[in-house]
Amino acid sequence: MDDTTKRLLHRLIRRTSTEMLKTTLGKWGRLTMAQRQSLDFTQSKSALTEELLTLCEKNGWTVKNVAELEMIHVIDNPNQGMWHAYRLMDPEDDACSVELTQFKERFKTHLSEVVRHVSVKTKKHTDEAVWIRIAWGDTFSRPNHLKPTYVVYHLQTPYVFVTSLTSKQKPLLSQALILSTRYQGFKDANLSGRKLTAIRDLLMKQYPLVFPTNFSSPVAEKDQTMSNPCIIKEQDGLEAKRLQMARGAFGDGVLPQLESAVYKLETKFKDQTNRIMTEREEPFRCVVKFTSTNLLESFRQCAASGIVSPPITPLFSSIPLKGKNYFALKDKTLGSSP
Amino acid sequence: MSLLKSFNNFPALNTANILLVENEEQFQQSLANALVEAADAIVNVRLAKSLPVPTKNEESRPRIDLVVFIINLTSELSFESTEASLKYLDCGYFLGKVCFMLTNARNASIPPERLDAVRKLASLLHCPLLFAEDQTPDGVTNAAERLLTILKVAAGHVPMTTALYMSILTQCTVLPDIDQPSFD
Amino acid sequence: MATGLNVTGPLISDPSFPSDQSVSSRSINKSLRVAEKERRKLEAEDPFVLALKYFSDVEAGTPVIGNDEFEKNLVQVEKVAYSKGLSPEGISIMLEFSMSLRMGNAPCVRVLKCLIPATVVPQEAVVRAVAWLCVGKIPISAQVLFIKWVLTVFDMIDAKDQLRAIYGFIFNFVTEENLCPFICHLLYLLTRKESVRVFRVRKLLELQSKLGRQPFLLHLLSLYKVFCPELVTLSIQSRMKTGFRNHNAPWKSALIAVQKRSGSQVASSTSLPFMIKEKTTSRKRKHCLEFPTMSGSVNKQAQTEPSVSKRVVPLVQLHSFAQLLKNMHCVELPAQMGSLLGSSLALHYLDCVQDESALLRLNFWLGYALHEEFLFCGDGGSSQNLEEAQQFLNKLLFTQDFLQEGFSSSEAFLYKFLRVWDGSLLRSQVLGLLSNIPVIPSIKIGQFLFEPLMQLFFTSSLFFKCGLIECLNNMLSKWLCWNTVYCLEDNLDISPNKSHTSINMTLTDFKDSLMELVHFVGRLASVGLQLEGYNSLLLSFILDFYETVCDMFVKYELPLVLVPPAGVFYPALFATDPVSVDRLAYIMYRYQVNLTEAKSHRKQPKKACRISHHTLCDFNHYMSVMVNCLWNSKMFEPDMGIQLKEELLLKANIPEYWESFNFIHHPAFLSYAVDFHHKCWPGRQDMNLNSIKYSKPWTWYLEYLYSQGYDGLKQFVLVM
Repeated sequence: MDDTTKRLLHRLIRRTSTEMLKTTLGKWGRLTMAQRQSLDFTQSKSALTEELLTLCEKNGWTVKNVAELEMIHVIDNPNQGMWHAYRLMDPEDDACSVELTQFKERFKTHLSEVVRHVSVKTKKHTDEAVWIRIAWGDTFSRPNHLKPTYVVYHLQTPYVFVTSLTSKQKPLLSQALILSTRYQGFKDANLSGRKLTAIRDLLMKQYPLVFPTNFSSPVAEKDQTMSNPCIIKEQDGLEAKRLQMARGAFGDGVLPQLESAVYKLETKFKDQTNRIMTEREEPFRCVVKFTSTNLLESFRQCAASGIVSPPITPLFSSIPLKGKNYFALKDKTLGSSP
Repeated sequence: MSLLKSFNNFPALNTANILLVENEEQFQQSLANALVEAADAIVNVRLAKSLPVPTKNEESRPRIDLVVFIINLTSELSFESTEASLKYLDCGYFLGKVCFMLTNARNASIPPERLDAVRKLASLLHCPLLFAEDQTPDGVTNAAERLLTILKVAAGHVPMTTALYMSILTQCTVLPDIDQPSFD
Repeated sequence: MATGLNVTGPLISDPSFPSDQSVSSRSINKSLRVAEKERRKLEAEDPFVLALKYFSDVEAGTPVIGNDEFEKNLVQVEKVAYSKGLSPEGISIMLEFSMSLRMGNAPCVRVLKCLIPATVVPQEAVVRAVAWLCVGKIPISAQVLFIKWVLTVFDMIDAKDQLRAIYGFIFNFVTEENLCPFICHLLYLLTRKESVRVFRVRKLLELQSKLGRQPFLLHLLSLYKVFCPELVTLSIQSRMKTGFRNHNAPWKSALIAVQKRSGSQVASSTSLPFMIKEKTTSRKRKHCLEFPTMSGSVNKQAQTEPSVSKRVVPLVQLHSFAQLLKNMHCVELPAQMGSLLGSSLALHYLDCVQDESALLRLNFWLGYALHEEFLFCGDGGSSQNLEEAQQFLNKLLFTQDFLQEGFSSSEAFLYKFLRVWDGSLLRSQVLGLLSNIPVIPSIKIGQFLFEPLMQLFFTSSLFFKCGLIECLNNMLSKWLCWNTVYCLEDNLDISPNKSHTSINMTLTDFKDSLMELVHFVGRLASVGLQLEGYNSLLLSFILDFYETVCDMFVKYELPLVLVPPAGVFYPALFATDPVSVDRLAYIMYRYQVNLTEAKSHRKQPKKACRISHHTLCDFNHYMSVMVNCLWNSKMFEPDMGIQLKEELLLKANIPEYWESFNFIHHPAFLSYAVDFHHKCWPGRQDMNLNSIKYSKPWTWYLEYLYSQGYDGLKQFVLVM
């Protein structure tokens, strides 16, 4: 039993709540019923770790088994860590006919072709997602199980979600993915967030969408009749209009919980009074970041309550429309460049 | 676009009309309900997000006896919108028919300058400045009752008193900072 | 360093366990010895004892990373600390371990955070830790944390004498910019008169010029000024912003939990009677509007060595008034001054103690609590903590009533609060506090009090109006009471020896303020009556107020007589209910008594009282109006206050209009007149009220009115 395994297990137990640990261990299925029942979950975590470690040694589990445990934990708790979305480009003809076993095999082979030491583990989740855990090593070192990369790929779609990937590993992963999925390109989708489900829903449009129309929906007309005849709204048309607009941009169902949106502006500084800045060759850069626990919901509320004056700027409405939360804006062209 | 005038309509018998202007349109609804509930005369409440009020309602709009600007102190926009709206009010209103109602004044996060600015504005216009606890039902009822007290006078329901007289008694004044009152 | 600490013996001493000598029977002795042995054995195996041993013996430079033994032991200590709290020895060992940085900086903070004392904190441990602080190797964040910890457990430190002895060392740290606020707080708690020195004052002033007027410096300086006014020449405002914050955040919940768990043992020895903390268990919130319980240390040393000259007794240990009297000179105040409010014994102490620092400190705490946690609460004041705020203010009101004076911090709070008050939130409490505020100088009274109150008064409901008038009436009588108590006859100076509430002001100043107040209420009353349609309830409250005003000279020996304005007098005179007229008559009678008294004292220089000509004129005028109206039936005579044109009165077609407000025809008494008529002439068919006017029935009629309980009228008629 090496140090990595110990630390991996230690870290995993520290991160997981006791209740969660129980079910995760159950799913893992490596402990016998008796062993599982003998574990005392009321004791402190360090003691629990000790107990599990002895069990590990007794059963002769390796780091791979513990990694499997970790993977189960991550699959059950996908909303930890920072997830980045990528998009596969230009599918080849047979891209849509890639199936699971084929993909798994190909991916493993392609990856181990480019990296000598790599440990790959795949698992298919209930929905069409394939979860891949990659522990990277290089020519001289063994795979580092303490800093694994998780990749979630939905079969037959061009979307890939990745967490904790370094820039060094990115080309390697991209090549392996392109080859195994029969696509030709791999690029950043400019969408990231802590909630995997949210960014997946946003990108794959799996949330209640609306189609923009010019007719007000019946919901807006209802509430006027409810109120007291003595109370009259002077600008009642405005409110309905605002609500409709907010609904048009963001829909009226539950929105994916996106935490942030970043706008990077690159422009020329224009101010006659400030010549030094105006005459500068280099572009003027600024970054605007919006954060919230539920950013899209906040935007919708802002628009509906009138805090944001109408019409809603395309910068906001293009978050759900384009499935992006990182925008680089260049001068004159308000649309996003990458 | 229309300038709200204080004398462009005849008063109706036993009726008072109040206009609540609030940019956020949060508090005005509950306040309107409380006003209608608490009043012993007929009280018509008009709600607006900002002034000017649309011309299309000109016909149906009664004579407005009291204009209340609701300012949420936690929002700068709320104050700015009020400042902009004030321009669309006939000067006749400033003879005791305008008042300001502030919410969230006890919130720790508001900059003191904002409260000072509102105070300055109110004292410049010789208007009363009321504070309201909009979070609690009791606070809303109390706010409605206080507005009704002013409204009754402004609508001429209280004998021997006029809105102007009332406004002299209740108008806000700008005071020097009493943060550290010293009696040395 | 660790050698000085004895860790070989049992660490958790069991007080219930008797020592061997006291037991005579051999068999018991033996079984006890066996038990003792068992216990020792158990203890030797107790992982916690082993852990402490590890920390006291561990060598300097032992690595932390990857050190499982360290980790295991620390977890052990933490477990005990968070569940039961650490014994005094445990605190000593862990503090020593942490501050000596024997295993580097990393564990220092972690250990400090788990130092939850079970009973007391040994003073020596703190002193040693301060010594380590002087070495200066500890990272600044840990230093701050340590001082915060000391502040948190200050009440649990078993004695303070040694800490006071190293006052100078602690003082040295004020130059450290990050530590300064906390050090100032600690010094504030430790300062004695003898620790105030010129060079320290100079240092603080120097710091102040560098850092600006920081509240923590100001507070320490103001305490210095209280002890040695000759050393601190700086003018310090009597009302300051709130001072020291509570720094107990890292330990608060754990401490409460530990104290709760061991509540039965600790609380019984430390809690004072009349503690108000009744249902703290169910509370879970971030605002802490409750009074802290008084948690004091058990001063073992003081108990065992009564000969020590500088013995101090924590207030917590006193349980009866007799004990308090005995230890009056050496009472040790708790660090949490707020706890004083909860106990009546402490209030007795506060009331008679000459030492101003106690009230000063209480005021700081109160100001902080009121301002930060109530007035400007973070969430804008939702309804959840309303009930708690209510309780808190009620308790404060009780305290103020007990001490019969307001706190300056509650006063400062009120001035601010009035300006954002909606008039209904906690109305009765706020008005109660308001009536307790001390006399305000006349130049400030308008700004602080009248302007906000005027806006509230005229825009609020009738009940608020009544409430405010009542509150102002209470305020007036309290001011008058204070004046009579503090007024020293010889120099006519109101210079209370307890100058913390009312500031020094001369009698003239006081009279000015009082006059302002009475005139203000006069204005409110006149216009208020007019706005409310001369409501009799409001009128009754107003007459209450004037009942206080009219007796100022006789009852409170204040050489000042002020008459009500016409706006109050006439509505009362022409009120439709007889009670108001009766009370007005009583008030006029009292004015008469007061003015006569004042006139008779005019010759005496001591009670020199110049009643203004104006007042006398007004009074005489009112008197003649009243007599003409009620008695002489000479309404609308040319020289009266109310004049109407002759032809207008004729037009009104009222027969004998000059009689309409006499005792018979006054709307308030008409029903009595009719009743009297029935009783007097039972057989008479046609009613002629004028027949009462003949002298005999008139006397009977008056007797009849008096018999109905209108004593005011009776007294009025007597002096008329």
